[in-house]
Amino acid sequence: MQGAEILLELGVFPRLLQGLWVTVWIAAVSVGLSIPVGLVAGWLMTVRNPVVRAVMRVYLDFIRIMPQLALLFIAYYGLARAWNWNVDATGACVLVFVLWGGAELGDLVRGALLSIPQVQAETAYMLGMTSWQSFSRVILPQTLRRLLPASVNLATRIVKTTSLAVLLGVVEVIKVGQQIIDANRFQYPTGTLWVYGVIFLMYFIVCWPLSLAARALEKRWAND
Amino acid sequence: MTERNERIVLRVDGLVKRYAGADRNVFDGISFEVPRGKVLVIVGPSGSGKSTLLRAVAGLEPIQGGTIALDGEVIETGRPGTERQGRAKRSSALRTKIGMVFQSYDLFPNHTVLGNVTLAPILVQKRDKAEVEAEALRLLERVGLADRADAKPHELSGGQRQRVAICRALIEHPQLLLLDEITAALDPEMVHEVLDVVLELADQGQTMLIVTHEMQFARAIADRIIMIEGGTIVEESDDPDAFFTHPHTERAREFLRTFEFTRHRHDHGA
Repeated sequence: MQGAEILLELGVFPRLLQGLWVTVWIAAVSVGLSIPVGLVAGWLMTVRNPVVRAVMRVYLDFIRIMPQLALLFIAYYGLARAWNWNVDATGACVLVFVLWGGAELGDLVRGALLSIPQVQAETAYMLGMTSWQSFSRVILPQTLRRLLPASVNLATRIVKTTSLAVLLGVVEVIKVGQQIIDANRFQYPTGTLWVYGVIFLMYFIVCWPLSLAARALEKRWAND
Repeated sequence: MTERNERIVLRVDGLVKRYAGADRNVFDGISFEVPRGKVLVIVGPSGSGKSTLLRAVAGLEPIQGGTIALDGEVIETGRPGTERQGRAKRSSALRTKIGMVFQSYDLFPNHTVLGNVTLAPILVQKRDKAEVEAEALRLLERVGLADRADAKPHELSGGQRQRVAICRALIEHPQLLLLDEITAALDPEMVHEVLDVVLELADQGQTMLIVTHEMQFARAIADRIIMIEGGTIVEESDDPDAFFTHPHTERAREFLRTFEFTRHRHDHGA
């Protein structure tokens, strides 16, 4: 238990929780905005127009090839240099995670849309439904169900990737942890493991319910 | 509209169909008509384009020549160069006049049986929910599935699903019902329960255009039968019995023989 006392130090837990809140906030906003972006991107990836499809292909490949950290630096430092457009560090993180999450989710949406048998849309057409009715009542509900497992996985990846925000100076949970360790280096030289252990648990507590909820829904929708 | 036209629900005139990138036409000027209350059955070997013909009438495939008229009104005029176009831009109201049942996978898996049947009339025809549900239950009763109204499609057998699909097409009161090999994906013991429903519809005067591989059924239900191959009608008849027993063309004879099985027993007796 050597070094564990660091966790009892006044202010350590509240500060970690504050850091966690920043992490969860960035992740939640990014995931929340990625959903509409991903749905639209996925739809654009399936349209007939070859120019639109090519543009979407380039977008997806660009985002996939670039390391997220490089994207973060471009958004944070590059935008200011190029257009004198100053985004704050948190804003840069959200921007990059939405572009990334939107592209990845878009690809999942594309796959799910294409996996719905053509005859479903044809039946809706024969029954007189408008394109929107067909999409919203028939195609989209089936697509969302097929999307669920992979998109929850993506959401947990986004939660974990928010730790890169440290490198832009955002004080999220990992940064708070480092600060606590540094501030108590002499008093608790072996506290490092304990602090990071708590951070590990915090990430787990955020991501685990997502997986549980996804598994429960997946089971309920298994055959629908 | 002439009186003759009023009797004709569907008239296909000089229909030309070509697939994108193909060097010849699937159909080269096919013409036929379906009078009100009659059943036209289309037969032909695999790849002859029977389903494509049905899909062109449905508006699911663009046509490159000829016309399609419903109730005396031209609803589709073929134009060359449209091979890559998608579904025809028909109004919702027009589309409800033509019902269609596909080979399989056409029930909406995210709706119950009742939901499948009532969705379009409520959404598209803006009919009263209670009235639509009452009619849906009557239809399901007729096909023996009233007790499965709350089931999801995955809980039904293939034959039951096709009967629900028929109800779903019927509830919009289509002028014309298109059936595209609706038993081709079913286990043999389920074919009868579906085709019995279709036979009953024919007795009640539902105008239908049917593509099928079930020759016994075709013979029983058809008022008129046409066989297509190589892009044209090779034989047509108003007398299904005669078509099956005494076909005029050699090609039809050959085709019908493919449905017969004979074992040539050799006499090994000493």
